[in-house]
Amino acid sequence: MVESISSITIRSLYISSVASFSAFIIAILISLWLSKSKRRMDMLSPILEALVGIPTTVIGLLVYMLLCPRGPLGFFKLLYTPYAIMLGEFFVALPTATSYMARHFYNVRENVKELVLSLGSSNEKFITVLILRELVPILLSSYLIAFSRTIGELGVALIAGGGIEGYTNVLTTAIALQTSLGNYEYAIWIGIILITITLLIVVVVKLLGEYVLWK
Amino acid sequence: MEIVLKGIWHSYDNQIMVLKRIDLEFKEPGIYVVLGPNGAGKTTLMKITSLILRPLQGVVLVEGVDFWGLDKEKKEEIRKSIVYVHDKPILLRGSVRDNISIGMKIRGKIDEDLIDHYIKRYSLAEVQKRSVHKLSAGQAKAISIIRALVLKPQVLVLDEPFVFLDDSRARILVEDIVDIVNCGGKVLIATHYIHKELRNEINYVIELVSGEIKSVVKIH
Repeated sequence: MVESISSITIRSLYISSVASFSAFIIAILISLWLSKSKRRMDMLSPILEALVGIPTTVIGLLVYMLLCPRGPLGFFKLLYTPYAIMLGEFFVALPTATSYMARHFYNVRENVKELVLSLGSSNEKFITVLILRELVPILLSSYLIAFSRTIGELGVALIAGGGIEGYTNVLTTAIALQTSLGNYEYAIWIGIILITITLLIVVVVKLLGEYVLWK
Repeated sequence: MEIVLKGIWHSYDNQIMVLKRIDLEFKEPGIYVVLGPNGAGKTTLMKITSLILRPLQGVVLVEGVDFWGLDKEKKEEIRKSIVYVHDKPILLRGSVRDNISIGMKIRGKIDEDLIDHYIKRYSLAEVQKRSVHKLSAGQAKAISIIRALVLKPQVLVLDEPFVFLDDSRARILVEDIVDIVNCGGKVLIATHYIHKELRNEINYVIELVSGEIKSVVKIH
């Protein structure tokens, strides 16, 4: 029996939300630390940008080796579970979110400090309040970027999750599976849902930026 | 407020010196124009004079006291008298009015009437509630200038103030600059050309080339 599209979609949204939110929280901490020093930014930004380009299949392979029965974390028995996908997608989203956030955090911090100084003050409290206010749209868009990266990836979901129907099958693995079985119509429908989710994210980011967050 | 720069050297990377052996005095009230081509070090000089940037070498004396040797509280007190306007306006999230009032908020007192006065004067009444990210470059520049003017500084430092401003706003700005000087203040302007509206009002022209002072000419 073929699994319903709605259950695959709900599972995908759940796994991607958990993975991207975890990556988002860690990315905030790393970005705050990075953005405090120009030297750190200059040294570590290129590394982060390089990590963004790592193929998700490679991350999937690393997570597989980590979680397989003979791997260092094999005793957790997480391979081919939704948690394995979450872990892998966490590593997929982390460099993307951190790279985006750190760059913006640094720019915001520098601009706000410079502005407050130019207006004849060095009031740390006021600088912090203004920085936090400026960071709101950046935080939101970086979370959505992380989410769209996780929901659309296949490598980790397939290698570490296995695409098990009713358990670890997500939108991307379902497309791969149904295409290989020749169920093109079904695969196309799932593809449309995936595209719709991604487009919705873009629209939400645009609208929030345009009408709410920059006001 | 007297500001004296003595033996100022500055570099951002410890290799290329952006400013070399700068000795300048801003003692009398008046309009001081720092003139020089792009990359001459004007912005760095203005930021050092505005007490934003600490020079690599040399002393910045404010009322005869070494500013960078003072404690935090005294520095904060002195900084209130000097306001710097960036060449590229730094605008934060929010409306035109929000941005104009930032400096006043920092000082804990917002004078809405004064803000209204300048908003009307610089023809920004129609856009005052609009998000700053939807403004033209000229409007953004005007906001950054008003944000400084409402603080009534004793020393106003303007970096390329006439870039993006139309003739009518440039004329108004010159009037406001002259008002500050008439009240005993100083206005320092860094520019690569002397705007026609400003020509007859300048007191000193300081020529800066490749980080060095070439000449200081008193006009009137």
